Amino acid sequence: MKCYICAKEGRSSDAVAVCIVCGMGLCTEHAIREELEMWEGGYPFPARRVKAKIPRILCPECAFALKGK
Amino acid sequence: MSDLAKRCIAELAGTTLLVYFGAGAAAITLMIARGTDTGTPFNIGIGALGGLGDWFAIGMAFAIVIAAVIYSMGRVSGAHVNPAVTIALWATKRFPAGDTGAYIIAQLIGGALGSLLFAASAGMDAVTIGGLGATTPFPGIGYSQAILAEAIGTFVLMMVIMGIAVDRRAPPGFAGLVIGLTVGGVITTTGNIAGASLNTARTFGPYLIDSLLGGPDLWVYFPIYIIGPIIGAVVAAFFYDYITGGEAKAA
Repeated sequence: MKCYICAKEGRSSDAVAVCIVCGMGLCTEHAIREELEMWEGGYPFPARRVKAKIPRILCPECAFALKGK
Repeated sequence: MSDLAKRCIAELAGTTLLVYFGAGAAAITLMIARGTDTGTPFNIGIGALGGLGDWFAIGMAFAIVIAAVIYSMGRVSGAHVNPAVTIALWATKRFPAGDTGAYIIAQLIGGALGSLLFAASAGMDAVTIGGLGATTPFPGIGYSQAILAEAIGTFVLMMVIMGIAVDRRAPPGFAGLVIGLTVGGVITTTGNIAGASLNTARTFGPYLIDSLLGGPDLWVYFPIYIIGPIIGAVVAAFFYDYITGGEAKAA
C-alpha cells in the first residue's frame, strides 16, 4: 500500500500505517500517532483513569476533524 | 487533597442538594398547606392541596435533583448520596471497606448541611411548620409497619440501581433518569406511610437541624430510617446477584 497523501502530491511512498477512522494509507511523514486516555467505572462507582493508554493512528484530515487543530 | 477526600466532598455536596431540594419540597408543601382543613387525621397537610398529587410533586422534586446529582457527580464519587446504597455495595464486595465509613460520614454531614441551608433560605416556618421535611410514620402507622415500608421502598431503589448501573450489561446513560424516577414513584405511593425516606442521611439532616433550631424532636423514629433502608438495600443487592447468578459481577 502507498501513502494516499503522497500519491495526491505526485510522490510515491510506502504506507506504514492506516488511519483508524477513514482507512487511508499513511507514510511515516503523514501518520499522526496519539495515545488516548481511557476511563473505567462511573455511577455508582468513581470513574478511574486506566493506566495503559490506547494508541491511535490518524491521518491529518481526521485528526483535524476530531480535534480541531 | 487525597482522592478519597475529593470523593467525600462530592458525596457531601450531592447529599446537601438532595436534602435541600427534596426534603425542602416536603417542608414547602406543609408551609403552603398551613391552616388548610385536611379532613382526616391521616392527612397532616401533604395531600391537602392536591391529594396524591402533592406526593407526586415532592417525588418529582426528588427525582429531578437525584438525576442532577447522578449526572453531575456520578463519575467523581459514584453519587451514592445514601448510606444504604454505600453499605449494600460494600456488603456485596463492590465498594472498599476503607471508603465506606468516610462516605457515610460525608453523606450525614451533607444531609445536615442541606437542612441548615434550607432553614436559612426559607426561614423559621420551614422548621416549626415544615419540620424541614423530616420523615416520620404517619398517624396510625406503627413502628414495624414504617420499617417495612422503608425496607420495601429501598429494596426497589437498590434493585433498580443494580439493574441499570451496577450490572455492566446495563445500557449506559439512563441511570440518573431511571433511578430518580424510581425514587419519585416510591415517594408518590408510600410517602404517606412513613415519609418514604429510603435514605438515612435524608432523614438525619432534618432531624438534627430541627433539634438545633427548636423544631420537632423526632429522634425516637430515627431507628426506622436506619434499619429499613439498610435492610432493603442489602437484601436487594444480594437478591439481584442471586437471580442473575453472579453474572452482573462477571459481565
